[in-house]
Amino acid sequence: MLTEEIIVSFDQVEKKYDKESVLKSISFELEKGKFYTLLGPSGCGKSTILNLIAGFTTPTEGTILINGEETKNTPPNKRKVNTVFQDYALFPHMNVFDNVAFGLKMKKMNKQDISKKVSDVLKLVRLAGFEERGIAEMSGGQKQRVAIARALVNEPDMLLLDEPLSALDLKLRTDMQYELRELQRRLGITFLFVTHDQEEALAMSDEIMVMKEGEIIQTGTPNDIYDEPINRYVADFIGESNIVEGRMVEDYVVSFAGKRFACVDGGMTSNEKVDVVIRPEDLVVNQADEGGLQISVQSQLFRGVHYEIVGLDDEGNSWMVHSTKKTEIGKRVGLQFDPQDIHIMRINETEEAFDERIEQFSGLSSTSEVRGEGADD
Amino acid sequence: MTKNKNWAKIYLFVVFILLYTPIAYLIYYSFNEAGTMNQFSGFTLEHYAALAEDSRLLIIALDTIRVALLSALIATVIGTFGAIGIYFSRRRQTKNLLLSLNNILLVSPDVIIGASFLLLFTLVGFQLGFYSVLLSHIAFSIPIVVLMVLPRLEEMNGNMITAARDLGANHFQVLKEIILPSITPGILAGYFMAFTYSIDDFAVTFFVTGNGFATLSVEIYSRARQGVSLEINALSTILFLAAFSLVAGYYFIQQQRTRHKLAHMDPTNHEKAVTP
Repeated sequence: MLTEEIIVSFDQVEKKYDKESVLKSISFELEKGKFYTLLGPSGCGKSTILNLIAGFTTPTEGTILINGEETKNTPPNKRKVNTVFQDYALFPHMNVFDNVAFGLKMKKMNKQDISKKVSDVLKLVRLAGFEERGIAEMSGGQKQRVAIARALVNEPDMLLLDEPLSALDLKLRTDMQYELRELQRRLGITFLFVTHDQEEALAMSDEIMVMKEGEIIQTGTPNDIYDEPINRYVADFIGESNIVEGRMVEDYVVSFAGKRFACVDGGMTSNEKVDVVIRPEDLVVNQADEGGLQISVQSQLFRGVHYEIVGLDDEGNSWMVHSTKKTEIGKRVGLQFDPQDIHIMRINETEEAFDERIEQFSGLSSTSEVRGEGADD
Repeated sequence: MTKNKNWAKIYLFVVFILLYTPIAYLIYYSFNEAGTMNQFSGFTLEHYAALAEDSRLLIIALDTIRVALLSALIATVIGTFGAIGIYFSRRRQTKNLLLSLNNILLVSPDVIIGASFLLLFTLVGFQLGFYSVLLSHIAFSIPIVVLMVLPRLEEMNGNMITAARDLGANHFQVLKEIILPSITPGILAGYFMAFTYSIDDFAVTFFVTGNGFATLSVEIYSRARQGVSLEINALSTILFLAAFSLVAGYYFIQQQRTRHKLAHMDPTNHEKAVTP
């Protein structure tokens, strides 16, 4: 990767507050023009990363480069990075125009240029004609747009968004997800988006970084992260999953729930203990004698798009199924799935080792699928 | 229920009678022809006329206002920056210490403040008069201003400061564009509070004044001791009316402002602006 294409790079960055480590030696690089998401529960350090890039705090250890330059002594007002805050942090004593124009006024730009730029950016966020409005008169969604416009008008190299959609209602949030993604594509600047909402992360990102307790657990495209979670934590955090313990019999054969199944993973030691993940939507409810697994249905919940069916197999493992077809509580049904629906996770595998193994075995997966058919029954 | 309500009304009525009777009594006799407060013999404005001709009293009145305006202004500037300093002090202990020091000054008796100022001024050889009064008024007004401004700072969304820094504002611009506009109501309240306290003050001024300089409260006190002249009544009446009209004016402005706000808050306005 060319260094000119990297906008932010963290090298073993650590952040401590009163001896308590909020970030534990983190290293990563962000490329220009991509939409990145930091995903994790509250308190995992994702906002700290944002604050470090914006310059609101300084790292305890390690170096942060922005556009290849060391930033330790660069105050926030000298960084070509702007932030959209969770509570918007708009200035209530100014109208929309003055809020958006703030950054430009601070740079002492002349008035004509300011009003041109402000009206352009307001058009961009679909708020043209709102210049004279007071902040108190704007709805939540409109405030959100003002906050985005206020940041974008400065033409930053990178936009940082700190859970900006969390205060909006569901409908508005979904609309804004599309709009943000669209905006990022159109402007071509790097977005770093922080959220604890996995759906948001999956819908918008080029790349997701899943965080836990001050560490980045896994980095990858939404598809990678969803389909090949590195461990139980990621699998659990991203979407609903069935996670059961199993054993790797040999490459492409795994045993769990008392049976052997063909799969597309390999590279483990023989008989190694692993976690097996199958997504609820990959399971198909069938007749009791068809399908790899038999469960007795414990509960069924109508979720609108699908039924959420939960049942127990003979070993006592709980399985959740998303099915568009109804079944009956107490009934014994078979669950059908394909070998590629089985995701194997080694326990305590590092991200490097994981990526390497996935790389090696994803190339072979087409052949293994053929082999898998036979082993299924 | 109604009985309780009636009792509440009676209670309030009695309290207000108690509070306002002396003032009403004083105002009533300011129009007395007899020249004493024993008996009302007839209506006259001669005490007001005498007041208008009493140049010493007028000068004192002007001096009082001068001291109040100036001391309130200077105290507001110092107190506002003090409050900002307390707000930004990083360590909780420092913050609490500063706040406590501020509050001690607020609750300590005026007599002690006055006596200690007198001691200080004589010790450093500072001449008593206008400046000594001004300085002491500034001093006791600062804690009041701090107390009025600090809550506004705490109420302010601290993220605004971060946002302003993020948008390229330096420390001075943050102060000028964000902090000061956000706490303006507190600053104004602090100024008026300080102004009233200064006009009001007797004890401190009594200690530190000298060389013929006096404020109204000190002057009224010394005249009242010599035997009450109804001129004092007339002066008090004017002061009371001035205070009354200030409060009324404030109330009126406040009313206008809420009405203005409500009109702008009208939710239907949104749609109107969206469709051109």
